[in-house]
Amino acid sequence: MTIPSTRAQAAGAERPSFAGVAEAHLDDVHAYLVYLTRDRVLAEDLTADTFEKALRLWHRFDPRRASARTWLCQIARTTALDWFRAEERRRRREQATAREDLTDSVFGEGLSPGLESALRALTHAEREVIALRVLLDLDGDEAARVLGISPTNVSTRLSRALKKLEEKVGTHVLA
Amino acid sequence: MSSPDPITQLRAAKPAASPELRERVRALAARTPEPRRRFFPTRLSLRRVVLVAAPAALALALGAAGVIGLTRSGEDERVVSPPLAAAEKGAPTTSLQSGEAATPDQAATLPPTTGRLQRYDAELRLRVEDLDALSAATQRAMRIARSLGGYVASAQYDAPETGPGSAMLVLRVPTIRVQSAIVQLSGLGTILGQRIGIEDLQGQADTLADQITALQGEIASLRRQLETPDLTDDARAQLELQLAQARRELAEMRAALEQTRTEGTLATVSVSLTTEQTARLQERGRLDRALDRALDALAWEASAALIALAIGGPLLILAVGVWKLAAVRRRRAEERLLDRSE
Repeated sequence: MTIPSTRAQAAGAERPSFAGVAEAHLDDVHAYLVYLTRDRVLAEDLTADTFEKALRLWHRFDPRRASARTWLCQIARTTALDWFRAEERRRRREQATAREDLTDSVFGEGLSPGLESALRALTHAEREVIALRVLLDLDGDEAARVLGISPTNVSTRLSRALKKLEEKVGTHVLA
Repeated sequence: MSSPDPITQLRAAKPAASPELRERVRALAARTPEPRRRFFPTRLSLRRVVLVAAPAALALALGAAGVIGLTRSGEDERVVSPPLAAAEKGAPTTSLQSGEAATPDQAATLPPTTGRLQRYDAELRLRVEDLDALSAATQRAMRIARSLGGYVASAQYDAPETGPGSAMLVLRVPTIRVQSAIVQLSGLGTILGQRIGIEDLQGQADTLADQITALQGEIASLRRQLETPDLTDDARAQLELQLAQARRELAEMRAALEQTRTEGTLATVSVSLTTEQTARLQERGRLDRALDRALDALAWEASAALIALAIGGPLLILAVGVWKLAAVRRRRAEERLLDRSE
């Protein structure tokens, strides 16, 4: 069964099954959470939480309003934010020390060290927009819907993020 | 060798879910049955609301107006014709509305100025019940004029077999008694209209009197000249000619002054009587009345909607503003949270 990946396709297609949607967009959700959290282990847990929540809310999914991928990314973002809030409260209570060191290749195998380093140096907002627009290939409107900002803001952030990446990668190569 | 551009690298190195995670999610999707869809959609798009609610509200408003119009169309409606406009004559006038009962206070509002000659003329339009009342009122009007020292200048009376009857009287009454005449005449029927005109004649009379005095002096002078013994024939003829001319002018001026005094002494009151009913009962079709009532109801609904919009509009704008502000604050809080987690 073809899973509609865009809203236009979804508008004309029948409602897909949850199992099919989960299989089709698991990697997308996972990659987005990796970029958002910079933690693969955390991203995996949050991915599973995301799909649990999505299953509970599946009856509210309307393919005419957004594609399944956009809808899942919105839930993933909310799930991540909930985790960060809980983590912040926990830290305040326990006064935890710094988080464990990140693994060397968080953002994917095969990335150059310079690019890996440049990605880590980006802000969360810049990493998010790169994950959604470059990695997941969402269009401007869909990415704006996930992030809760305007499409213009999405374009501005993406442009700034890519410029930063190019500058840092260029610097690393020269060094 | 140059590295591929960052975008290509990023896409090529897109992180994939581990096999364990994939199995985990598959098991989740397979084990837990999908919940049933709710019968009613939980989200209503604005477009859907507007497309459905707006026509429904309009249909409801039209339906209510129609029901109101039909249920209230059985009421009788009497349409009263507008009062006849009072005529203008360049002098101070006054007029009364139709249908008002005549009262002495209403009938005469412009008394003549004592001590000055004034041309005073008044018009009264009265309605009487029927031809019998018309006849009685006409006779009564004539008696009023005579009783006040005046007279009937002209009278016309028309009492056809079918249709309304009418009478037209021109009465002359002493100006000093015109107010009493108007009050008494007003009581003959229902006043449909009234007009009063006053024009000062004193100046004109004074001018004539001065001219008369001057002419008298001139005549006296001419007569003295004619008594001169050594007048030539030609001179005598010339003086006699001038004397005759002056005497003619004096006679004319005396007549004019007399006329002016008469006009100022006697007021003219024109009284028109009619049996025509100016308040007509118009039997309108039920459909017309229903339509009128429905339009009234629609106008009321539109007014109510505008008032609701005027009151609720600012509140709605405020609520939308608060909601948007809350959304902005929530987004900023999330961004700060993510920043702190860096």
